[in-house]
Amino acid sequence: MPAMVRRKTVTALLALSLSLAVSACGAQNASQNAAGPAAEGQAPAGTEASTAPEASTAPSKSDEPLVVYLNDFDEIIQPMFEQATGYKLELVSGNGAELASRIEAEKGNPHWDVVWMDSMPLIDQLGKTGRLLEGWTPADIGNLTDFASGLVPANGTYYPTGAHAAAVIAYNTKAFTKDTAPKTWADLADAKFKNALGMADPAVAAPAYPFVSYFFQSQGMDAAKGYFDSLFKNGMHVYPKNPNVAKALTGGEIKAAALQESNAYALKNKGEPVDIIWPAEGAPASVRVAAIQKETKHLEAAKAFVEFLLDPATQQALIDKGEESYFEPSAKGVNAKADRAGDAKLVLAEAAWAGEHEGEIKQWFADKAVK
Amino acid sequence: MLAVLFVLILLPLLAVVIQVLFPGIFFGTLKTGDLSLLLDIFRRPLWYASLKNSVLLGLGTTVLATLLGGALAFARSRWAFPTARLLDISVWLLLITPSFILAQGWVMFAAPDGLAAQRLGWDGASALVFQPAGLIAVMTLSKFPLAYLTVKAALQWRVERLSDAARLSGASPWTVLRTVELPLLLPAIASGAMLVFMDTVGDFGLPASIAAVFRFPTLPYSIYSALYTSPIRFDMAGALSFYLVLLIALAMSVQLYAMRKSRFDFLSSRAVESQPRRPARGGSLLALANSAFLAIAIGIPLGSNLLMSLQGDSAGGGFTLDHYRALFQGDSRLAQGLAHSLEIALTAAAIGLVVGFLTAYVLTYTSFRLKKTIDVLSLVSLAVPGIVLGIGYIFIWNQAWLQHIGLLLYGTPWILALGGVAGAIPVITRIMAGAMAQVPERLLAAAQLQGAGFFSRLRTVLAPLVKGALLSAGLTAFGSSVFDLALSSVLYPPNYMTLPVVINKAFEDLRFGYASAATLTGAGLVVLIILSVDLLARGTRRRSRRTTS
Repeated sequence: MPAMVRRKTVTALLALSLSLAVSACGAQNASQNAAGPAAEGQAPAGTEASTAPEASTAPSKSDEPLVVYLNDFDEIIQPMFEQATGYKLELVSGNGAELASRIEAEKGNPHWDVVWMDSMPLIDQLGKTGRLLEGWTPADIGNLTDFASGLVPANGTYYPTGAHAAAVIAYNTKAFTKDTAPKTWADLADAKFKNALGMADPAVAAPAYPFVSYFFQSQGMDAAKGYFDSLFKNGMHVYPKNPNVAKALTGGEIKAAALQESNAYALKNKGEPVDIIWPAEGAPASVRVAAIQKETKHLEAAKAFVEFLLDPATQQALIDKGEESYFEPSAKGVNAKADRAGDAKLVLAEAAWAGEHEGEIKQWFADKAVK
Repeated sequence: MLAVLFVLILLPLLAVVIQVLFPGIFFGTLKTGDLSLLLDIFRRPLWYASLKNSVLLGLGTTVLATLLGGALAFARSRWAFPTARLLDISVWLLLITPSFILAQGWVMFAAPDGLAAQRLGWDGASALVFQPAGLIAVMTLSKFPLAYLTVKAALQWRVERLSDAARLSGASPWTVLRTVELPLLLPAIASGAMLVFMDTVGDFGLPASIAAVFRFPTLPYSIYSALYTSPIRFDMAGALSFYLVLLIALAMSVQLYAMRKSRFDFLSSRAVESQPRRPARGGSLLALANSAFLAIAIGIPLGSNLLMSLQGDSAGGGFTLDHYRALFQGDSRLAQGLAHSLEIALTAAAIGLVVGFLTAYVLTYTSFRLKKTIDVLSLVSLAVPGIVLGIGYIFIWNQAWLQHIGLLLYGTPWILALGGVAGAIPVITRIMAGAMAQVPERLLAAAQLQGAGFFSRLRTVLAPLVKGALLSAGLTAFGSSVFDLALSSVLYPPNYMTLPVVINKAFEDLRFGYASAATLTGAGLVVLIILSVDLLARGTRRRSRRTTS
């Protein structure tokens, strides 16, 4: 009977899919129970404590990994830190919004021990609302550069590990020469560059906020609004994120852009027809800072991690081997990338000010962009 | 059933919406939120534009994609023609490829400096694509697979004598199609249309990527921008999500109204499994039209990605396989991510199939009072952006007390599986409900009279009759959850990256070639899995027929 055979087929299929499901779950369980340090075993090591209640009552601290939320350097930091200190490290990497969403949603029961991101205003706000470890000073604090030590907040909730330009002027060498390209931020409003410029959307791209907030603090709200209005009138293209700006720039859709530093250098190093101008008045900076979660259960490891990041040898390694390697180190005795302009000048809005006005400024941009 | 849907979909969503009313309720503080946020949609230019754009894009795409998908499904199950199999493969490919990758392909093709302008010398492409109608067209070409699969699943059985009777009464083939065959397909067509609508209004990837060239903010886009703000605005994301849910509810009411009082359970013992027939003439024409269509729908977005994945890193460099080599050299992140994603998708599809099958059963055969609620619920997770649902999942599954009962799922791979199930349920339920609408209840009642228990009725009567849909549903759910980016990017446990997270990261690091290569490799593998399962199932079916004849 066809129906009979057919029935069997479906039953078999259902059974198959179910058994696959069970085995998939089984595989997860098995790996959750595996405590080995093998690559696959690492993932569930963190889950072990949360799924098995008895494990959390008497944790042997050295076995539990330190959980770090970060938005860059996830490709190299784990082995570097583990080899240097013997602590185990687990990472959650994502963009600024994803990590901020997680941190905020986890508020009642945080899963992270250290956050290390180039979002200083955000982390400053976390510190102000009492969610970060306060008053701790890393051992080698004296070795911070003047620029970096000026950024450490009074309550000692976070420490800068480096800073990069949230935007430099990048131009397509097929369209402009060093002399004809825009050289200052004010040039972007020049009618010469009508419809030829692009930038990332501060409402979506994480590094674009430090860029615009600098103008809002240094010029005042109204003057800055006037400045950006003049850019929009000049036909400024606003792209969701820096990679989109980069593509538009190499594609020729725009001829110059306010582009995040490492994106700009990445294009140049790939041999794209792109060159970079550091405006003499300074490039607004995005500062990468590290902060420890107040309730962390792994305080020693967390402190070791922050101190490790402030170590000149670590910063040198990040510059030499990392993907986001174009930045100004926060420790003395570290050499920035050789091809990074020697006269690179960074300027920035105060973290506290930028944090307080973030909602207002971003909303202004978001609504502006519609028109 | 209601409870399962509730826990999986509604609870997390509710959590986000409750945030609007009582910010801080999950962290021990109770204060009333600002309800005027809900009205802000008419005050804030961005929000208002987003709502308008979402509705426009949703409606336009729904109409076009349903027509397109329905017509293709009809042609595919009626006629056998060369390249027909290619259509099936393409549909799967489109369905599982993350929408930001498809969009990226379109952007690469049609941007002012894109492939169309540079290699084909066609400068008009940009103006054609980057306008509202162009976006709807692109969306249509990306979302029609949902309508195609739903309608095709419903075409598995044919009751020929209905059409024959009409023909005998002198109706032309066109009249038969219009007055007999199409109306009987109405539930499936409506299901397909709903899926398309949900998936379109909830899509973030496409509008976001296209926004690189053309600004067209939609609700998901504004939701993201609320989350990109610090202090983060969960309340705004919740308020905007509320409007997305409202859109779904409206669309569902329209559907219910359109289908009121009609019966569609036409299957009887005379039903035969439809077999595509070779058309008397025009077979090669069909093949030609099909190929031309696929060249656009698949060729442009995936072809652009293919080109990108083969292009050397240095500008103007020749073709190279470096990016593919890079996938499996160096760190094993991609391989691991792929393994994680497959594991999660398999679990999600299997659990989702059981839940979705039962949900569709409840919707089709019971007079359960909360049926409509279930109906809406089963669709919600498709329209609400994954990141919102993800945040809801954290609220719900990360409460400290859960640890004591071992259910602190956040931070374990289980939370991803759970999210995957939520994502799979709408598709599975719709496809199943479309197929079940044709199976009359009396077939089940007859079995019951013979003493067949509930599960044996499902197993021996219902499941065999809808097995094509079961297969489609399971495979669709599997395929699309492999690439579920938004949800996994906020939920993945430490050191447990999934494939889309790895791909998206490569994209954000400007490694476009690597991202494209990883996508194509991942999608190719998944399609291979899907096709082999599909073929396996078909193979056994065909063999069974041979043994009995």
